[in-house]
Amino acid sequence: MLAFSLVSGFALSAFVIVLAFLFQNTAVGASVMQRFGVSLVNYTLLNLPQVLMDGLTLGFVYAAIALGYTMVYGVLEFINFAHSEIFAIGAFVGVEVLIALAAYGLIGGQNSLLSAYLWLLVALLAGMLVAGTMAVLVERIAYRPLRGAPRLVPLISAIGVSFFLQDAIRLIESVTTGQFHRIIPAFGNFDNRIPLFTVAGNTVDIQIKSLIVIVAAIIMLVGLNYLVNATKVGKAIRAVAQDRATASLMGIDVNRIISMTFLIGGTLGGAAGVLYALKFTRIDPFVGFFPGLKAFTAAVLGGIGNLTGALLGGIVLGLLETFAGTYMSIFTMGVAGAEYKDIFAFGILILVLIFRPQGLMGENVAQKA
Amino acid sequence: MSQVSFNRLLETARQGRWPYILTLAHVLIGALLVYFSPRSNIAFLLLLSSLGTLYALPTDRRFKVILGAFIALVVMPIVGVRNIFYLEIIFQISVFVALALGLNIVVGFAGLLNLGYVAFYAVGAYLWAFFGSQQYYVLPFAPGTQPTDLPFLLPGDAFYLFLLLAIIVAALTGILLGLPVLRLRGDYLAIVTLGFGEVIRQLANNLDKPLNFTNGPQGITPIQRPTLPQFAVDAFNALFQPIIGQPVATATLYNVMFYLLALLVIIVIIIVTIRLEDSKIGRAWTAIREDETAAIAMGVPLVRLKLTAFAVGASFAGVMGALMAASRTFVSPESFSFMQSIGVLSMVILGGVGSIPGVILGAATVTILNLQVLQGLSLYLSQLRQSDAVIPIINFAWRDLSTQLDPAKYQRLLFGIILIVMMIFRPAGIIPAQRRQRELASEHADEKQPA
Amino acid sequence: MSLLKLENVHSYYGRIHALKGISLEVNEGEIVTLIGANGAGKSTTLRTISGILHPREGRILLNGQDISHMEPHKIVYAGVGHVPEGRGIFPKLTVRENLEMGAFTINDRAEIERRMEYAFSLFPRLKERINQKGGTLSGGEQQMLATARGLMLKPKILMLDEPSMGLAPRLVELIFDIIKQMNQEGTTILLVEQNALMALSIAHRGYVLQTGQIVLSDTADNLKANPMVQHAYLGIE
Repeated sequence: MLAFSLVSGFALSAFVIVLAFLFQNTAVGASVMQRFGVSLVNYTLLNLPQVLMDGLTLGFVYAAIALGYTMVYGVLEFINFAHSEIFAIGAFVGVEVLIALAAYGLIGGQNSLLSAYLWLLVALLAGMLVAGTMAVLVERIAYRPLRGAPRLVPLISAIGVSFFLQDAIRLIESVTTGQFHRIIPAFGNFDNRIPLFTVAGNTVDIQIKSLIVIVAAIIMLVGLNYLVNATKVGKAIRAVAQDRATASLMGIDVNRIISMTFLIGGTLGGAAGVLYALKFTRIDPFVGFFPGLKAFTAAVLGGIGNLTGALLGGIVLGLLETFAGTYMSIFTMGVAGAEYKDIFAFGILILVLIFRPQGLMGENVAQKA
Repeated sequence: MSQVSFNRLLETARQGRWPYILTLAHVLIGALLVYFSPRSNIAFLLLLSSLGTLYALPTDRRFKVILGAFIALVVMPIVGVRNIFYLEIIFQISVFVALALGLNIVVGFAGLLNLGYVAFYAVGAYLWAFFGSQQYYVLPFAPGTQPTDLPFLLPGDAFYLFLLLAIIVAALTGILLGLPVLRLRGDYLAIVTLGFGEVIRQLANNLDKPLNFTNGPQGITPIQRPTLPQFAVDAFNALFQPIIGQPVATATLYNVMFYLLALLVIIVIIIVTIRLEDSKIGRAWTAIREDETAAIAMGVPLVRLKLTAFAVGASFAGVMGALMAASRTFVSPESFSFMQSIGVLSMVILGGVGSIPGVILGAATVTILNLQVLQGLSLYLSQLRQSDAVIPIINFAWRDLSTQLDPAKYQRLLFGIILIVMMIFRPAGIIPAQRRQRELASEHADEKQPA
Repeated sequence: MSLLKLENVHSYYGRIHALKGISLEVNEGEIVTLIGANGAGKSTTLRTISGILHPREGRILLNGQDISHMEPHKIVYAGVGHVPEGRGIFPKLTVRENLEMGAFTINDRAEIERRMEYAFSLFPRLKERINQKGGTLSGGEQQMLATARGLMLKPKILMLDEPSMGLAPRLVELIFDIIKQMNQEGTTILLVEQNALMALSIAHRGYVLQTGQIVLSDTADNLKANPMVQHAYLGIE
């Protein structure tokens, strides 16, 4: 896993360095020299470590969301389109808890750092709890009655749930707070940067909150891996995923296990939502759409149904997106820049589905058997 | 007891002369109500629903066609001249009926879920927006910096040519998208088309540099309209001047013209759709939808037929896009969001997947819900907000109600509820396609699986 | 009182009327076999008993309790084991995990280990493959695994669907020996077999199914001697 992210990071770095050498003596190089006063190669090299760090952080956010898609897909072969809104619910619950805590003076100001981390954990757990519960409810109400129907029927219902939840969040926020854009309150030292190392006089650093995102995502993945591989529930989940009818003949309550799957996926999605809010500070009811789609792309890229694949896909996508966002504008001289990073993810999704629908690590599921 | 007498009543309404009497009465009452109270939404809905009565009651085919044409060509324009807002609604309904019928070809006939359908609508709209405006001369200028006295590239009447071009270009776009992705399984295809829809929207958003093709988020305006034919203006005025007492305003005339154009497009689309459904292609689509493997085994050329579905569906959207661009004289990326695609999908689902009358009803219902009911509620709420009214018991002043609670902004809620409720309780829609009804009936007969 | 009793059971696959009024009984301690041609409804009978299908008409009684509309996992808890046709092992779980799934209803770890050891004593080959994924086993080994997994539950009644399918003759004999042994240790067996001769040689009684109906029921010995059975199912002219 670590090796793989290193490899993809190196490959992308090598790619941009080669590009930099190739374009050094062209108009591209000249424009960089003019704007930044350094050669294209130097500019590229100087930016690289920070880009890698940012890409990795983004990748872990995608990975955390992708786990939810991949869990549900593994068990039901169903794209839980509403997972992005479960994510958004997590973000809103976390942010509202923190706003309430700030209003009571429990975080921010003179309060100790320890309490800041503690309260962040509380917000995280609250987000997880509500998001997990919502995921179970959604399955119970909108998916379970449709089990056994043609594949597109539950997908359409899921799209309906996704839209419904977006506006439901908006409605609830509007009624209770009069607005639906929320900003996480400033507290703790999460915005501070920890210097990591110095390259040619340039310090590469990482924001504490990025570090929190990475650590939390790794804990989530390790925990989930343990849960799925070593516990009785986990084995039952895998059994249900492989053969539902036979699993029921083992005495496994298939409905309960499917609920469990949504609970786990929703909980992880909720956690990802709170982490996202911490990292990017602003949220609105539609905040789940793009991260959700990208996380789904990551899941497909890694091989949907495969937990490690979700992580790898997330990291690769996060790196690619950050690389594209940083360097595309440089190499195209401002013609196409970061504004195309969303398109970029879709391009990857389409390419992966066409050329390697089983993903990097998965078995072939994308094409009709 | 009451159930029985109600059924008897329904029975009577379908016998002898009753259908004719009832239909005529409905049309007449609707038309009169609208004429005498042009601002009443209820009167207008009553008039619109008379088309439903006309469709539903068993009357002579010729009677239906003549009365339908009379309503569409005479009653509606009069109503529209009295209250231009209604013509706008009918035009919107027509646009969405065309989109829904196009999506119905893809989803309903061929069984391919396309979540980026408005992309084709965007292609048609931007096609005419670019060539029918000054945008060609704006190319070297960043948005907002162009000089004001730029000429138009083409005369407004080139619009008719571009209606045809929009069909072709949109169909080609459909094929271009379809070629690589059509071998994907249904749910993956859905997500890929969603991605494609977003790509098109983002391109529209971002292609204001290096050359300014789309003018970015601000959108392109003004877009030319075709000229009004003078003889039609004269004829129209000769007919309507006595009724409304003054010459009809040019803006209104344009509205009537675009309404008639939309009507024409819809009629063509409906004829094409009906022909397709009963054709060899239509039967092959059914075969693909029901069992792809079996269809291949029977020698159905899978990819070619799926491409046909994509292309036909896309062309409907393309032509309506061009029409919309001309009628609005303005396009912007906002009109082509994912939400629009889902809106059209919910029309198809609500009315009945694969059912032509169903889809038309679905499009009309959802558009009216959006434009009349949600916006009507918004209006009502904003009036309440300006008043001193207070909700009793909880003692809440309407004035304090957040403007974020504007019902017109909650279309997603509407679409979401439609999709969920229909999937769970009536997956075949309000007017199920006859073939689809049988399919779903057999599915429901399945023994409940344990999981 | 009989352990398992079907009264006039009708089952459907979609619109296909698969069981048309099956009535049968299995008494405690018996081996009962269902024989019949492909599509006669043998597997459907087992699937209906274990709750994968629910009967549209009729009742299924286990120890006098109606289980016709119970969910499958509850039927397992009630004591019905089912080794499905086509083995139904979990291809991506290891041999050990597959066996653990067989004992899903049991929470006592020590007891699970005891049963696993017992299963391994019957099928030593499985022990050699303990950490291998189920899908990588040979056909014969998969059948052993499926049968062993059925044992892990220690059900009151174990239903086996085609345990000899696709197996080498030596393995078939092994499996049938084990079935007999299990029966002697107190497990009631309901056995569905294509290999009617083999099945009747270990069974006490048998039922003959034809197009969803029972056409004959008798003791195993009588069935073996029945000219119709001999002709249709035993290949004796």
